[in-house]
Amino acid sequence: MVLLALFLVGGGLYAATFGQNYSSVDTAQSPVFFPRIVLTLWMGLALIALVQAIRTQSDAAPVASWLRLGLLLVAAVIYTNLIGREGFFLPSVAFAAISLPIFGIRNPVAVGLYAITVPGALVLFFNYLLSMPLPVSRFTHLF
Amino acid sequence: MLSSLPDAIAILLTVEGLLVLVMGTVLGIVLGAMPGIGSTVAVAMVLPFTLTMGQAPAILLLLAVYAGSVYGGSIAAILINTPGTPQSAATCLDGYPMAQRGEAGLALGWATIASVAGGLVSAVVLIFAAPQLAAFALEFGPIETFALILLGMTCIVSVSTGSVIKGLLAGMIGIFLSTVGGDPIIGEMRFTFGQWQLFAGFNLLAVVIGVFALSEVLMRASVTLSQTSELIDFKGIVLPKFAMWKGRLKNLGKSVLIGNLIGVLPGTGAATAAFISYAEGRRSSPNGSHYGTGEPDGIVSSEAANNAVTGGALVPTMALGIPGDAITAVMLATLTLHGITPGPKLVEDNPTLIAAIFTGFFVINLLLLPLGLILSRVAAPILRVREAYMMTAIVLLCAVGVYFVRGNPFDLLVMGAAGVIGFILRRQGFPMAPLVIGMVLGPTLEITLRQGLILTDGSFAAFFVGHPIALVLGMIAVVALLFPLIRHQLAARQSRESKV
Repeated sequence: MVLLALFLVGGGLYAATFGQNYSSVDTAQSPVFFPRIVLTLWMGLALIALVQAIRTQSDAAPVASWLRLGLLLVAAVIYTNLIGREGFFLPSVAFAAISLPIFGIRNPVAVGLYAITVPGALVLFFNYLLSMPLPVSRFTHLF
Repeated sequence: MLSSLPDAIAILLTVEGLLVLVMGTVLGIVLGAMPGIGSTVAVAMVLPFTLTMGQAPAILLLLAVYAGSVYGGSIAAILINTPGTPQSAATCLDGYPMAQRGEAGLALGWATIASVAGGLVSAVVLIFAAPQLAAFALEFGPIETFALILLGMTCIVSVSTGSVIKGLLAGMIGIFLSTVGGDPIIGEMRFTFGQWQLFAGFNLLAVVIGVFALSEVLMRASVTLSQTSELIDFKGIVLPKFAMWKGRLKNLGKSVLIGNLIGVLPGTGAATAAFISYAEGRRSSPNGSHYGTGEPDGIVSSEAANNAVTGGALVPTMALGIPGDAITAVMLATLTLHGITPGPKLVEDNPTLIAAIFTGFFVINLLLLPLGLILSRVAAPILRVREAYMMTAIVLLCAVGVYFVRGNPFDLLVMGAAGVIGFILRRQGFPMAPLVIGMVLGPTLEITLRQGLILTDGSFAAFFVGHPIALVLGMIAVVALLFPLIRHQLAARQSRESKV
């Protein structure tokens, strides 16, 4: 599935090189000359890997808990999206509060303390000690 | 470079210089001792702190964390039978049995001396070999440079773990990612699909941190949660007496040599060096038959080799601008962030900086001894830190580091995407080092190819006919690429013969 997706992505990107207008298309100095070589190799290798995978039928290692992994995946993607909009501190508190139980910390006091103090310490350290401001939320300029 | 030594020492003797050396080594040992973090993630975690520093302290901090983490891995390997870093996996084989029979302090003593010896010799090799190699590479034109990068890439792929095809494919993905954004010669935009955030291309560090650090956190979440391991009774390091070294020095020397040689080869890494050295030690050491039962020579073989790799890996990185692994790729990216162009001219153009880095690296390896002795006493609380706290801290620190590189929240999205894609690819057995190194070397590969084609009037064949160095490098690249195939065929033949 992954190898098929890689092959299709490579093919899609290769096709995209024909959809744009460049100043010099046919020479080695064309902007798409090098990417086309790379993408041709990409597709060829993906195809070989796909054939190998079909012949050997090897599976990836089993996942212990899809729920735990899925939650962390979603949390990580949302977290990296939210920092630019909501600042560093608030999304980090939320992420830590979700991540710690996923990794087995069940004590609410420990989760709460960690979720507030670690992002808080990072904000204090970078914003106020090193004067390297992290993104701030729309609610306050302090964090 | 020797003439720059006084200036280099002056840089190291500043408060910032000394703090970076000591704190970096301490952090490296502590992070290395924690199972699951590893050297690459440890280096990624301290990256944001380097952005306010000068050029030399920034690189020295990363080097200190790198060398410290490789040594720190042995603490967990010996005390809880879980390697702190993959490089220390071979150390478990003899370190833990020694610890089980009440000699944990002595086992760590052997590991400390071997690590310091390996690191110091590799620092000397770096100091002498890198400038010579850089001077030789200065003669290279675009065609030779193209062939050299091709060789570097094939070496990385052929020795990286897993399938060669998947390694090559990962390398192609990395090279393709480097082509997104402005064309390096004409400047026209490629593969940006109208997104202005992509005009400057993907941020290398966002991709590196995503595919190594964030994907590692996801990998840990996908396996059964680890329980806090039972600690062996341990009172502190006991250094082996001189008399105990009798008959073991040859093994130490051989392990250091193996580590250095393997370190210079791009892509091999400390884990490979440790296992090759361990196997060689078992074959040739007078105590080889005791390997695996708590034999000090086994610890020496593994630890001397893995620490010797650190200096060796820096030789092609500093001399040629070709990173040997993901950690040295991060260092090259950090150099670029500080306005330094990696490559053969790096040594010639920045003699004081290079002298400070090389001298500092020697000092870092010296510091492993006293700091190892002190920090081993606090090893128990370090090893008891729950994985959950570390994994969460990794994500937060990585977000900080990626944001500070360009101050662009878009890079955080790239990190998130790279983390998820890296996780999916790693589960399918794709090695990540070729992807990162492909991304680092991609722009130079493209520029030298296109310059070379101008010089040869568009003829690929003329690339190698009139350029003997390029021809030799190209031939070695072909052999390096065929090496895994030959190895596979030989193994299959041996297996058939043994069945008969």
